[in-house]
Amino acid sequence: MASSVARYKTDVWSDWCPGCGDFGIVAAMQKAFAELDLDPAQTVIVSGIGCSSKTPHYIHANGVHTLHGRAIPFATGIKLANPRLTVIVNGGDGDLLGIGAGHFVAVGRRNVDITVILHNNQVYGLTKGQASPTLRRWEQVKSLPRPNIQDAVNPIALAIASGYTFVARGYSLWVDHLKELIKAAIRHKGTALIDVLQPCVTYNNLYTADFYKGRLYKLEEEPGWDPIVHEPSIDEIDEKVARAWEKALEWGQRIPVGVFYVNPHVETYEERIAKLNPLYQEKPIALQEIEEEGAPAISREDFMKFFSKYIVEVDRR
Amino acid sequence: MPLRDLLLLIGGPQGSGMETSGQILTSALARRGYGVLSDREYYSNIVGRHSYVHMRISSYTIPRSLTYPVHMAGFIDAESVFTHTFDIASGGWLIYDAGTDPIKITRVPSMEPQVRDRLLEKYRSHGIGESIKDVVEYLEKEKGVNVVPLSFKLILNTLRQKYNMTLGQAQRFRSTIIFAAMAALLGLDPDSVNYGIERRFRGREKVIEMNKFLASKLIEDIRGDYGTPLALEPSSIEIERLLIATGNDMVGMGKIVGGLRFQSYYPITPAADESTFLESHESLVIDGEKKGNILVFQTEDEIAAIASAIGAGLAGARSATATSGPGFSLMVEALGWAGMNESPVVVTYYQRGGPSTGQPTRGSQSDLLFTMFASHGEFPRIVLASGDPEEAFYDAINAMNYAERYQVPVIHLLDKFLANSTFTVPLPDWGRIRIDRGKTLFEADGDFKRFDKSEPISPRPVIGSGAITWYTGDEHDEYGHITEDPINRLEMYEKRMKKLEIADREIPEEERAKLYGNGKDFLLLGWGFVKGTALDALEALEERGLKGAYLHLRMFIPYPSRMVREILESYGVGRVIAVEHNIMAQASLATTMNTGFKVGKYILKYTGRPIYLMELVDAVQRIVEGGEDKVVLTYGE
Repeated sequence: MASSVARYKTDVWSDWCPGCGDFGIVAAMQKAFAELDLDPAQTVIVSGIGCSSKTPHYIHANGVHTLHGRAIPFATGIKLANPRLTVIVNGGDGDLLGIGAGHFVAVGRRNVDITVILHNNQVYGLTKGQASPTLRRWEQVKSLPRPNIQDAVNPIALAIASGYTFVARGYSLWVDHLKELIKAAIRHKGTALIDVLQPCVTYNNLYTADFYKGRLYKLEEEPGWDPIVHEPSIDEIDEKVARAWEKALEWGQRIPVGVFYVNPHVETYEERIAKLNPLYQEKPIALQEIEEEGAPAISREDFMKFFSKYIVEVDRR
Repeated sequence: MPLRDLLLLIGGPQGSGMETSGQILTSALARRGYGVLSDREYYSNIVGRHSYVHMRISSYTIPRSLTYPVHMAGFIDAESVFTHTFDIASGGWLIYDAGTDPIKITRVPSMEPQVRDRLLEKYRSHGIGESIKDVVEYLEKEKGVNVVPLSFKLILNTLRQKYNMTLGQAQRFRSTIIFAAMAALLGLDPDSVNYGIERRFRGREKVIEMNKFLASKLIEDIRGDYGTPLALEPSSIEIERLLIATGNDMVGMGKIVGGLRFQSYYPITPAADESTFLESHESLVIDGEKKGNILVFQTEDEIAAIASAIGAGLAGARSATATSGPGFSLMVEALGWAGMNESPVVVTYYQRGGPSTGQPTRGSQSDLLFTMFASHGEFPRIVLASGDPEEAFYDAINAMNYAERYQVPVIHLLDKFLANSTFTVPLPDWGRIRIDRGKTLFEADGDFKRFDKSEPISPRPVIGSGAITWYTGDEHDEYGHITEDPINRLEMYEKRMKKLEIADREIPEEERAKLYGNGKDFLLLGWGFVKGTALDALEALEERGLKGAYLHLRMFIPYPSRMVREILESYGVGRVIAVEHNIMAQASLATTMNTGFKVGKYILKYTGRPIYLMELVDAVQRIVEGGEDKVVLTYGE
């Protein structure tokens, strides 16, 4: 049951530069939401800081525009408090892989059921074009006074190494292709990364639409490409990780997009909590009753029982 | 004549079980209705450095301060005997390992050079030699200390033979020797000691049996030789039940009763014990009835800790994070986000010695001004501070109430002394507990004006309520969308700050500051753990003819300005003395800022050790009678 794309649009004017790759990402998200018929009131877009992090304001769903680098921990808190919500993180390459890299890694270790959409344009746009963590060594985009002398982080490889269970790459100008990746990522149970290559029309004169034209190819069109772990055996996981890794390293004349790796067999953080604590599954902690008419749900008698270990009954003899 | 009030010290290398000795004694004493307070002083170390428990026992009241000298000391190793040579009262009792007699102070590798040099200088001036034997002889002959030399080796050998254990295994029972010897001199009955053992080692039958065997044998032997010279009079405290808990535990209990559902943390001393406590109580199934569950979330750093707690709060869970100075330093940017987004979150802040790593395991009150001003820009926050275990419990609940009622970040300040001390505490009074969720909505719909300007405190539908809301750290309109419009800026800025005026009107000043006593000779102005010592000092000073009062500050934002100004002015500048664990007298500066009253007399301590009763009493006399302006306290190793 699909709903209309209009349902996910706000009347806030997008102040991105004309031609910005972010437009394609928002369009792909809105289309994906419509096709999945997501309830905007039960969907949360969480972002960091930067051009791409303005995304929540342009999507008609709950939006939480947080701090530079911190979208993932905010999103994690929201999701763990109420796992019934669909939680999506939007952030730039500087946000997620520079200042927020620790959180980018940590969420993979937990396999929290959220989707991370990485807006990857190799520059810090909103601060006028500095090198981001995905710009390669000796590359010099136009506002750099000298070439970049730091190496790039490989988002796909880092996500796989960190334990993400769905890892894909899209391209902001291939909206329908990206839409399908977003749908698959949201449907996936566990932490999902979509590394979205996007031209920055103002500050990135190297990775332009022209650059990507002819270089990008779709993994799913490669004969025999199957990124999904079907049986959770060590052998199959090793093989799929190795193949994904090999593809992650490809850059230059041929750049792959599509799904690199999917392992649907890893339990999510929420499932791990529920295993330890079955109540967690019955009712999200955010919705549990903690009081009645201002009186705590835990009575004095409950307290005496619950903390009996700490209570000494005085026996004077 | 039986004693009413008694102080003792248990010392040994970190990891040798002094805390266990203290816990067993505390349980045994509480069982018979005595009040107990103990401070634990330890290095930032896992095993081997000098550590001790400083305990006060009372038959007539629940103790609230510690002092020196002590009536009884039990030491596991030579370093403790050296370190605390001058802490034992004339006529007091010393229990120690006679096997350490030949050890010289210059041969204790774990002792810090400064401590050794300071002690050696004192030994020289008192004509004491360098060995344990020399020190013990001095104590016995010059100070009239009664010495109970025990051969730990022989005692542990009997245990090894009976239970066929290695020397290493037997070493664990050194703590048993100490508590048993102390119980003997205190005249504690065997049943109460056994109760203490069973309570400590719950479910570990073999350990219980071995402890009971060794303890009962030692008690019999020692009592045969020395009698019960430190017997306590029966307790006259009218109480049926006592909680035995640390400050960390009390906050944890308060949070559970108050409906906490999400606690995030990154491990840090002295805060982590609270999160561990909560993790042990995550499942609130009581008598088969499901009351819910708490999620304790260990994060990758303190930034993620506060960010996830704010996130959980947006979704409607009562949420908090617990930390200390270095952790809070990392949290401040997110604190501002919570302020800007009118999001409830509680930061439970256990102060330790700073700056930087400072003194991780030592106490301090040096972060008050930091919490009041942390993060850029201006936004409302509430800062409250607890001074004893009961305040810690109720404050933990109220902090969550304030956070939701006023939609602000709340910082609940405690310090290491309160966090790590063990107390006997009366059970909470349920009549004092209310849960107030303010304008939190769990059902709503449509695009919602989350920041509706028509009132300073807007209705707050949680994410998932059915409403659609937006949040941003940018200045925003009523829907939470970014706007830089100057008029909206002014209105939103004022809307946020007005919430503080409402809190100032609604929270009674009597709950934010409390005046104890009515003597007019002086007024002590303090906060946090200073409370108990200050209250006992009032009584002790009254016996010396000085009648004073203590003004206990509980909330710094919003500050109870009217009440405090009136009280301070009634004393006048010359008679108000700030008592604090920092060098700047931070609470007095906050007071000046809020009342215009300039404090001019100070009693300060910043060695990392608690303020002891005898030094506070002495300092007040020096100021009130001797005319001094400032006294810096230094007692304690």
